[in-house]
Amino acid sequence: MTEKALPAESAKTQTYIVFVVAGTSYAVPSHLVQHMEMVEQVTPVPNAPRFVEGVVFSRGQVVPVINLRARFGFERTTINQRARLLVIQHGSRNVGLLADEAREFLTIADGSIQPPGDAIGNLSGSYLDGVATLGQRIVLILNIREVVESTPVAAA
Amino acid sequence: MTEQNQQFESSFMDDYFAEADEHLLSVRRCLLILDGSVGADVSPAVLEELFRSCHSLKGISAMVELREAELLAHHMESGLRAIRQGEVHLDAASLDTLLAGANALEAVIVARREGLPMPSEAPVIAALGTLASSASAVRSQTATPSSAVAPTRGWFVKFVPSPELVARGVKVDAIRARLLQVGKILSVTPRVQASGGICFEFEVQADDEASLAALIGDGISYEPLPEIAAPAQSDAAAASEEPSTSPRGWEVAAGAPGNFVRVDLARLDDLMRIAGDLVVTRSRLEDTLHRVERQVPAREFRLLQEHESLMERQLRELRDGIMRVRLVPVGEVFRRMPFVVRDLSRDSGKRVQLEIAGQSTEIDKFLIERMMDPILHLVRNAVGHGIETVDRRVAAGKPPDGTIRLSASTIGESVIIEIADDGAGIDLAAVAQRAPAKGIRTDEGAVDSRVLLDIICASGFSTRDEADRISGRGVGMDVVRGTVQELGGTLEVDTEAGRGTTFTITLPLTLAVIDAIIAQIGDQTFAVPQSAIQEIIEVDPGSLRSLEQNELLTYRGRALPIVRLGRLLHISAAARPRLHAIVVGTGLSAVGLLVDRVAGHREIVVKTIADPLIRVDGVSGATELGDGRLVLILNVAALSRGVRERRRTGERALA
Repeated sequence: MTEKALPAESAKTQTYIVFVVAGTSYAVPSHLVQHMEMVEQVTPVPNAPRFVEGVVFSRGQVVPVINLRARFGFERTTINQRARLLVIQHGSRNVGLLADEAREFLTIADGSIQPPGDAIGNLSGSYLDGVATLGQRIVLILNIREVVESTPVAAA
Repeated sequence: MTEQNQQFESSFMDDYFAEADEHLLSVRRCLLILDGSVGADVSPAVLEELFRSCHSLKGISAMVELREAELLAHHMESGLRAIRQGEVHLDAASLDTLLAGANALEAVIVARREGLPMPSEAPVIAALGTLASSASAVRSQTATPSSAVAPTRGWFVKFVPSPELVARGVKVDAIRARLLQVGKILSVTPRVQASGGICFEFEVQADDEASLAALIGDGISYEPLPEIAAPAQSDAAAASEEPSTSPRGWEVAAGAPGNFVRVDLARLDDLMRIAGDLVVTRSRLEDTLHRVERQVPAREFRLLQEHESLMERQLRELRDGIMRVRLVPVGEVFRRMPFVVRDLSRDSGKRVQLEIAGQSTEIDKFLIERMMDPILHLVRNAVGHGIETVDRRVAAGKPPDGTIRLSASTIGESVIIEIADDGAGIDLAAVAQRAPAKGIRTDEGAVDSRVLLDIICASGFSTRDEADRISGRGVGMDVVRGTVQELGGTLEVDTEAGRGTTFTITLPLTLAVIDAIIAQIGDQTFAVPQSAIQEIIEVDPGSLRSLEQNELLTYRGRALPIVRLGRLLHISAAARPRLHAIVVGTGLSAVGLLVDRVAGHREIVVKTIADPLIRVDGVSGATELGDGRLVLILNVAALSRGVRERRRTGERALA
């Protein structure tokens, strides 16, 4: 759908789902998002990595839930009505990302995305694919592989 | 196809032709003997040998995908089965049919070897088919319950232990011994009763009702098993006791000759899934029913409950039925192994005998397909790393031929597959040396079986520096263990220097739906597969004694080690006046897993946990109890083993 024959590279666009973690906006390409849902009961998994909130059934599948706050090094907060679970397809895996809220759908031109610089000082910097500047607004593009795969040695 | 593959295939085919010749020879010899005895009594031994040769031909032909030969051998087998069971009289005409079958069989094998066009085997198959079908016609006329069927019957025996019985020494073991004197025990299931107490349900096969009736009292009651279920199970039980070389066990799976249907596994999966959904729906219904209890007149409510429990029973029968259809003999995998072993031992200059036992043990089709590669890997390892060269074996005073024993058996609702070799054993010192490189800590010289398994299952681990042809290909031990765990099973290793190594794989009989005990710890709920549970006892926390770092409970005159599951799983829970201990393991390896409360017994639909983020030791899967919430299924074998090992090695694993 984004592959329309447009002349310039910079004019290529992609649609993103935008979500908020600890006051910052992040985005993931929408074609990777299987679906979004409200967060009800997450079953904790003993001895799983600390950033794993637990596990849920999502459309009949067993899906691990990564708490993005914990993943980015922020403090955990209680899960409320606004929290959303984004079920992401990553290779053959389906992984749930727990965000504080997720309500936006954005089309971002490839040209407005810069590589993440040293400017992003916080821990989430290593989980980024790029930084999109949209007028006054800054949206961080999430590197899903980093979030899902790079497992710090789990303190069991 | 690469040149190497071609070479591999041609050596494989050579083996096939050699083996097929042997069997064809035996078929001819037997047919000749039978020819001499037409009209007279047929020697059962000759028939047996003939049957076995045809059966082997069918098997090896299937492996090299020579369909024509497989089909012919199969039809020969069916015809012979009819003769052996006395349903078809062996006369000149039926012998001619068999001879024609043998000739056609030889013709297709020769055609394949010489690259000639395949002769048509259809007329012969048709003739053989008539032989077998005339048999089933005869059988359907004569098969009345009273005639051929043995008087053996199935019984459902229930034993309810009580303190008074225990005081008199009447425990489940004693009951088991008594039942064994009367007949054969097909299965034992511990169940939690509505009252919270536990009882044991035996399925027993016994000829004589009077001897069973004599056992009544002492907490024992009995009733006949439904007719439909009993014969199938007794067949399976009888088959598993057949000697390993007998092909008879295969009949259990094959069913009546000419009378079975090939089904796409996906369709069975669909049925199983629907049955699983029904189980969940039913538990939702049960929940709703409990909620409306006060609003419904008592009489109507009782009726509702009756229907509901009837539905539960029928659902159980439905899923048991589907499960039985999915079961296949584990031999399907085993029969590839002689070729593998022969090939590998020839290449490595070792001499290896492969013993196979229990190939008629049945297991879910899905499970066995997933286990193919792991078993192959363990067998390869046994040849490559386990068995020594002839020189070394002789020097060590061992017979020059090494033995690898591949066996399968069913215990309760688990299938146990063992791969044992009588080789050199795993070099523990060498393993311990390589361990730090894999990030595994070991104490000086202390490598117990659990740590050993951790090390050899670390990805990329090999005690050999160069990956040799035999073991250095295909999946690694990490994949073997991963697959076993993913399927809800466990892998154990036992090794002794100079004596050999045994790998033991324990798998659930089937995935999908199992019986489980629902337990609560703090605010969390877990499911524990009932097949793993010996019994459930109520515990007064005050009666626990501490010894060094362990807690013990004196129970039935013995010290039972207690593990607080809440502590192991990092769950904080308030102190409670009464707790429950789930006893797993027997004898010295018995452990009581302490939980806050046992909330009852449920039929659960098992979902496997595949994602590495949540695949942790001690959890074998997930399920739903009807309210949409996910509940973890505990792997009590892994949990209690971890604890036993830790105790033995002085808390090292906690460090």
